[in-house]
Amino acid sequence: MPFSKRPSTNQFEAAAMPYLNDIYRTAARLLGDGPGADDVVQDVYLQAWKAFDQFELGTNCRAWLFKILFHTLNHYRRKWLNKRMVRESEEILDLTPAVGPPIPEHITDEQMLAVLAEVPQDFRAVVLLVDVEEFSYKEAAGILNVPVGTVMSRLSRGRKMLREKLVAQAASYGIGRTHQEGKSA
Amino acid sequence: MNRIQFGEGGCEKALRYLDAYISNELTIETNHDVLRHLEGCPGCSAELDARTRLRSRLKTAVKAQSIPPELQLRIREQIRSRRSGSSLFPEWLKAGGWRWAGAMAAGLLVAAGLWMNYSAQRMPALADRPAQKAYIARVSANLAAVLKVGLGDHIHCSIFRKYPKEAPPIEKMESDLGPTYSGLLPVVRASIPEGYRVIMAHQCSYAGRKFIHLTFEKDGGLLSLVIARKQPGESLEDLGQATQSSGIAIYQSAAGRYEVAGFEAGNYLAYVVSELRSKANLQIAANMAAGVHEFLVKIAA
Repeated sequence: MPFSKRPSTNQFEAAAMPYLNDIYRTAARLLGDGPGADDVVQDVYLQAWKAFDQFELGTNCRAWLFKILFHTLNHYRRKWLNKRMVRESEEILDLTPAVGPPIPEHITDEQMLAVLAEVPQDFRAVVLLVDVEEFSYKEAAGILNVPVGTVMSRLSRGRKMLREKLVAQAASYGIGRTHQEGKSA
Repeated sequence: MNRIQFGEGGCEKALRYLDAYISNELTIETNHDVLRHLEGCPGCSAELDARTRLRSRLKTAVKAQSIPPELQLRIREQIRSRRSGSSLFPEWLKAGGWRWAGAMAAGLLVAAGLWMNYSAQRMPALADRPAQKAYIARVSANLAAVLKVGLGDHIHCSIFRKYPKEAPPIEKMESDLGPTYSGLLPVVRASIPEGYRVIMAHQCSYAGRKFIHLTFEKDGGLLSLVIARKQPGESLEDLGQATQSSGIAIYQSAAGRYEVAGFEAGNYLAYVVSELRSKANLQIAANMAAGVHEFLVKIAA
């Protein structure tokens, strides 16, 4: 049910501001660090505030903000979000059953974020929503406006790409020791 | 999602559903089947461990990133200067005839009011030191002089000053606090509510005065514990006491969007400053008071 009268800034801030960190981090990981993420997040909150009198009380404010974030990103980066990287039919069928390469034992935050930045943005968006922000498949599908099957497929492939790129990066730095090797050493 | 029977080719099926298992998206029955397979299969179990670790490592790396401290302030001041549900050209403004002139006049008055409100609250740029000084003076204009001390350093150091996105290691913060005050860090961390993380702890100076300053962050909101040595004649006792904790009188007052709580500890004045609601800020100050008081009195002795 929407607000019966115009909501106050305090009501909006109490409902929306606790998620500022989550929204900023996701924007920054999709756009790269820098002033771009600041601008997008400001825009998201302004749009949310303008539309807040239509917000359904008792529904998920966090998911609503993320939906606005992706809508805003779509506006900012229409090219990359609209670009289909794989056909829908392939996406749904392509759930990978294979065992992946062993993961390097020592990974810094910087290395992890650098590798994440190399994952194509459609896949990165799903990995961020499901693995970092812990949205359900259904919620992520609603936020991104794609079928649940697409979320499943992009998540699977996104995780796989992240792992492969991490291993490749570690190899390029001469870091060959894996978690399993570390255990047995 | 349908239940998947495991039997022949169990590893392939288990691996196919491992991603959904990690995301807790399987039905209870299929989840049970995957779990049962994993218990008897070291290979799939190792793969689960690897995928889970990768997910956890990714989450840690992304969540370690903090937002620019001024962003929340910028957003707050922008939304406070705009009305919810408003659009640039609302329907009533599009109406013709004599109403248009009246509507325009009213609109201009509203715009002027909003602009004045915006001007009064807007934050200066990080590099604009004179504007920062003016902002601090404007915000704290109606605050008792003895409370301005804590508020000024909080805004100057926590709000305006740039510090690394990643909080420095505890050892670095202890080193920045110096040997006399490094013991303050565990004392304060023990009394800060859950969810807050220390992002800065050091000695700093503002307006010719030295401070011990610890800053905490939660959900983009900053909270400072600011400590200064008393100057002659300085006391909080003339203010109305807000509460008492372990026999320590705590005083509090609001200044714009900020709440400033203060208490005395021997030769020191301690302040808790945040943008929390009055009651929440006071409660945190009350929680900290006993430990901080004991620590500072011990130093003075």
